[in-house]
Amino acid sequence: MQARFFFALLVAGTAASAADGDVSFSKQIQPILESRCWKCHGSAIQLGKLDLRSRAATVAGGEHGASLVPGKAEASPLYRRVAGLEKPAMPMDGKLTDEQVRLIKTWVDQGAPWDGLAPAASSDSQTQLTAMEDMPIPPEARNYWAFRKPTRVASPGPGNPIDAFLEKTWREKGLDPAPEADHVTLLRRAYLDLTGLPPAPAEAQAFLADRRPDAWERLIDRLLASPAYGERWGRHWLDVARYADSNGFEHDFDRPNAWRYRDYVIRAFNEDKPYDVFLREQLAGDEVPNVTNDSLIATGFLRNYAKVGFREKDNPEFRYDYLDDMIGTIGRGVLGLTVQCARCHNHKFDPIPQKDYYRLQASLWPYVEVDHPLVPADEAATYQRKVAAVNLRIADVRKQIKALEQPYRNLLLPAKYKAFPANVQEAIALPEEKRTEGQKLLANQVLLTVSVSSNEIDRVMRPNDLSAKKELLAEVQGIEKDRPAPIPMAMGITDGDYRFTPDGPGDEPAPGKGVKKADFAGSYVHTGAGPYEPPPSYFLIRGDVNSHGSLMRPGFITVATRGNPAVEMPQPGGHTSGRRLALAEWLISPDNPLTARVAVNRIWHHHFGRGLVATVDNFGKMGEIPTHPELLDWLALEFIDRGWSMKQMHRLIMTSHAYRMSSGFTSESDLAKDPDDHYVWRYRVHRLDAESVRDSILAASGGLNREMFGPPVFPVLQAEVRKSMSYGIWNQDEDGPKVWRRSVYVYRKRGLPFPLFEAFDLPDQNLSCGARNVTTVPTQALMLLNDDFVLKQAGLFADRVREAVPENAERQVDYAYRLALSRDPSEQERKLGLEFVSSHNLTGLAHVLLNLNEFLYVR
Amino acid sequence: MSDSTKSRRELLFEAGGGLSGIALAWLLGQDKLLASTDGSMAPKQPHFAPRAKSVISLFMSGGVSHVDTFDPKPMLHKYAGQPMTGKGDVVVRQGYPGPLMPSPFTFKKYGQSGLDVSEIFPLIAEHADEFALLRSVYGKSNDHVQAHYALATGMIRMGYPSLGAWVTYGLGSENENLPAFVVIYDAHGGPFGGPANWGAGFMPAAYQGTVFKPKGTPIVDLKPPASIAPEEQRARLDLLSKLNEMDLQKFPGNSELSARINSYELAYRMQGVAPEAVDVERESEATRKLYGMDNPATEPFARQCIMARRLVERGVRFVQLYHGGLGNQNLDTWDAHENVQKNHSQHAAEVDQPIAALLTDLKARGLLDSTLVTWQGEFGRMPISQRGVGRDHNPGTMSMWMAGARINGGQVIGSSDEFGYKAAEQPISINDLHATILHLLGMDHTKLTYLFNGRNMRLTDVYGELIPQIAG
Repeated sequence: MQARFFFALLVAGTAASAADGDVSFSKQIQPILESRCWKCHGSAIQLGKLDLRSRAATVAGGEHGASLVPGKAEASPLYRRVAGLEKPAMPMDGKLTDEQVRLIKTWVDQGAPWDGLAPAASSDSQTQLTAMEDMPIPPEARNYWAFRKPTRVASPGPGNPIDAFLEKTWREKGLDPAPEADHVTLLRRAYLDLTGLPPAPAEAQAFLADRRPDAWERLIDRLLASPAYGERWGRHWLDVARYADSNGFEHDFDRPNAWRYRDYVIRAFNEDKPYDVFLREQLAGDEVPNVTNDSLIATGFLRNYAKVGFREKDNPEFRYDYLDDMIGTIGRGVLGLTVQCARCHNHKFDPIPQKDYYRLQASLWPYVEVDHPLVPADEAATYQRKVAAVNLRIADVRKQIKALEQPYRNLLLPAKYKAFPANVQEAIALPEEKRTEGQKLLANQVLLTVSVSSNEIDRVMRPNDLSAKKELLAEVQGIEKDRPAPIPMAMGITDGDYRFTPDGPGDEPAPGKGVKKADFAGSYVHTGAGPYEPPPSYFLIRGDVNSHGSLMRPGFITVATRGNPAVEMPQPGGHTSGRRLALAEWLISPDNPLTARVAVNRIWHHHFGRGLVATVDNFGKMGEIPTHPELLDWLALEFIDRGWSMKQMHRLIMTSHAYRMSSGFTSESDLAKDPDDHYVWRYRVHRLDAESVRDSILAASGGLNREMFGPPVFPVLQAEVRKSMSYGIWNQDEDGPKVWRRSVYVYRKRGLPFPLFEAFDLPDQNLSCGARNVTTVPTQALMLLNDDFVLKQAGLFADRVREAVPENAERQVDYAYRLALSRDPSEQERKLGLEFVSSHNLTGLAHVLLNLNEFLYVR
Repeated sequence: MSDSTKSRRELLFEAGGGLSGIALAWLLGQDKLLASTDGSMAPKQPHFAPRAKSVISLFMSGGVSHVDTFDPKPMLHKYAGQPMTGKGDVVVRQGYPGPLMPSPFTFKKYGQSGLDVSEIFPLIAEHADEFALLRSVYGKSNDHVQAHYALATGMIRMGYPSLGAWVTYGLGSENENLPAFVVIYDAHGGPFGGPANWGAGFMPAAYQGTVFKPKGTPIVDLKPPASIAPEEQRARLDLLSKLNEMDLQKFPGNSELSARINSYELAYRMQGVAPEAVDVERESEATRKLYGMDNPATEPFARQCIMARRLVERGVRFVQLYHGGLGNQNLDTWDAHENVQKNHSQHAAEVDQPIAALLTDLKARGLLDSTLVTWQGEFGRMPISQRGVGRDHNPGTMSMWMAGARINGGQVIGSSDEFGYKAAEQPISINDLHATILHLLGMDHTKLTYLFNGRNMRLTDVYGELIPQIAG
């Protein structure tokens, strides 16, 4: 199609122009300009500084040079762009017709006569801008189910309301629900679901022997109280928060303090921190009335975006991508909305105007990256003062060293120039004023970038100078001893002025490079007296960072907002705008129709393997509608009423019959009516996620190191895999207990996902993810069959069995089953196992058990 | 096919065990999959008759200088040593701009088409009439990694599926015992940006590229360690299968559990098939010589090229080769900041014979018409010098070529400006390139979509126009 268009232009276009008579500007060209061009190159705005309202302005052109060469269409960007001969093709919002393009070509070739009147005096430019930016939201848009506030419907029956709601649909659809699963299945389901680990044999035995009527409830309470709960459910949230320990992109720099956020999340789940508090801390932990270390660490949530981290000042557009990432994460992760779709235009499916996007952007706009000290303010101040003092003293000595080195540097530099090609040397040899323009460039390329290293100088220094230098260096060492021990820091954000960001890697302050130093007063973070003033942000036309529309005020998603919630909540005496706090309060307000629904739906999804809304990240039009809308609303309101307690929701869900149903149950009639079990007539078999696969293997082998928290660990990478890594770190830890920690503590490197996790569907670590993909591919089998880690654990597993029950093959088989599958083998399984152990070995059997479907699936 | 939102959503969220459907597709090949499910997934046929079944992408990592290879610029001789003017801001990646620098290499005309090719590619040049040369491809970033990602995924941000993943998603696999998308990177190490270059982004991981090593066991974890004899492994697999089958009785009709059982058998078969598929020792002496296996300089890339041909022969859809890998960036990649003559002479000598041989060999075996071969780096290089004899990055224009797939060879498409700083005539974006490659494979880039984040995502985002001279 495109191809045809292209040729039509070249061939038919020329022929037509010759055949045509004179083109009338006022009748034929001006209407095209008016309807298609002036929107962006007219009175309201002149994108690319191009104004197409007069011939003179069009000829003069904009920042990309002249736009019109009268008489020469082929040389006129105006024509070339509408004809698609030059990129970007214009107009951006859709091509002109072939006829219109032909007219423009003919008109330009005819000398571009401009006989029209000046554009009719239209409304003022602000009005035009507003008209372009604003999208009215039709009142009926608020009636879409996800934008209505949840309403409470009374439980349609006795017992656990979850069952009552489900039963209602079973009756309506004529489905037969499954009976309760057996106790071993339930036990494993609860353990793997809540802790990500299979039960130890003793734990299994205790539960199976517990005849009390509330044995199940007690089990759930015990598991919810176990620290492993936070390690498992915190991991779900870390997916949403796109948490990683490295920056990503080329340099993939390490983030040495990122793990504190991971620990915060685990702690929050274990403490059952109310979800509203949890969100508020992550959005605005630096702005809340009671700032704590944890609330400061929590602000790492917004800083978890993948970051180039190199030459950021040469690329100011990066920051817009980071903001986009935050908006995407809050949108999908908290609101279940694809807000990012409104970055360049109004949302195509949902009633989210582009302006809402830029309101949200304005809410986040003041952010700057900071490392929050996690010690009392006075202690931090003392620390910083001491550091500054040490640095000052060192700088002084360094100055002396430099002075000592200077003669040698002067001596060595010309020698270094000798390493450069002849043309460079020639240029440098000439006095500056004798150099040609080209030689000046050549000379500067070297003179401004070549330096002499300290080591190079040492090699030629006279002994007395060298010893003097060494003394000074020793002095530096001595001063270094006074440097205070580093204080713990959290990687987070606060408000400030990004235009004063200190230079980072690659931001060499070269003339003509990087952002110009701001010619206005301000500072990176506001510490002084007086109110904090956030830097301005703008509506961006078509998302183009250089096309500013109106100045933006903070705000939220209009269609999901009721009343006039505050958009800024600055704290008295604070140093921030309070915009993020206002955003957080809007998110967790009981008036917000989405937050609680999205949260309970995600909890449901993790318990059942499918959400009541299957598209857990998208409650918009392109998402699924809820299978049980009344239940979803009931759960959402219950969640709020119970103080946003996650643990209470787990308890509520897991004590339902629905959760305890058998997954092996089949019914021809059910399968015919609802083959994919949308209406939860049986429990859904689902594979362990990547972390649980590794953790379960370690649990069965006994190798698992249950130590919690702290800096990440680096399990062994095969040499070949290491080689594919671009930059950044992967420490060489030994394969052993130090790295046999739970998988949540494994280093998350954006540039190199840990292979075992990746094979088992680790989501892309750069995007917020509420529901992982689940695939079944042979690379998974290869890894579980052949990987050194798995084989080593299989060996440990066998050792563990031999140690526990020496010299009794039958009991060994039984014990291996109990460790891996929490049950005794059947007669036939025992027989097969024994045969295998006698003809091969116990390690082989252990290895097979770790590969069984029964081991790898929750069911 | 994939433009049907419903079927994709069925696939994503409704299949009995999550994504077992996709897994099966990969495992068994599309047709068998379709026979085995409820028919909710429409066939993954291409949108129209394809011109190519497979792609071999030859990626020269580090950035090849177009003005020293396929885009001669006499004006650089005329204005040698003078500043480049009239081009607006001269944006360099490192340091400061230098003066215009002519190519240290001479160009000659080749083939009936009289294509100008630099002396460093004498053998590739012999195929001048077989490839279409694009001289106006412009990039999105002058940073290596972002430029790699742009070529790989169309986006400079991380987290998006690569071209190979899209192709696998769109067409599935032709060989049930091999991955559909294979990556073989340079013996020195992975390319800039690492595995994200062949990632599946927001798609299921099943679509991502599988790395094959050029020597030894080709896939990580393909074979058990020496301590486990083949009979021992087979015995374990037999026991596993027996126990799993017994267990499956409790879950009749569960497709995910049976897919996993099958995945072990497939894994076992792959252990045999994959090493054979890429075993260059099985090639005749003449073939090995043709590629340059007998020369230490050409041997590594010759090996990669032979592997690629063997894989394509066996139905692999997309083979991504990298020349240039991260060891020493200046020496081991095309990143010729220091000395373009030295760097490019060396690297061209490493790939010239293998690539020429690949074209010859594919043609001789009748595979060239059904295989698209592309050659490119992540950006071009500057027409001005960097500190005398080096060249800095230049995303403004680069040269690449495409052969096979019944493309008219010998033609030059687009041009760069007189110095080679920016694309001039018919600028071709990476989105255009991707659209055209999908087109050759029988897919309409506007219809190959994947629902994510509430949007029907495309490899080409909202851009991309076919290159008429290639797609037409």
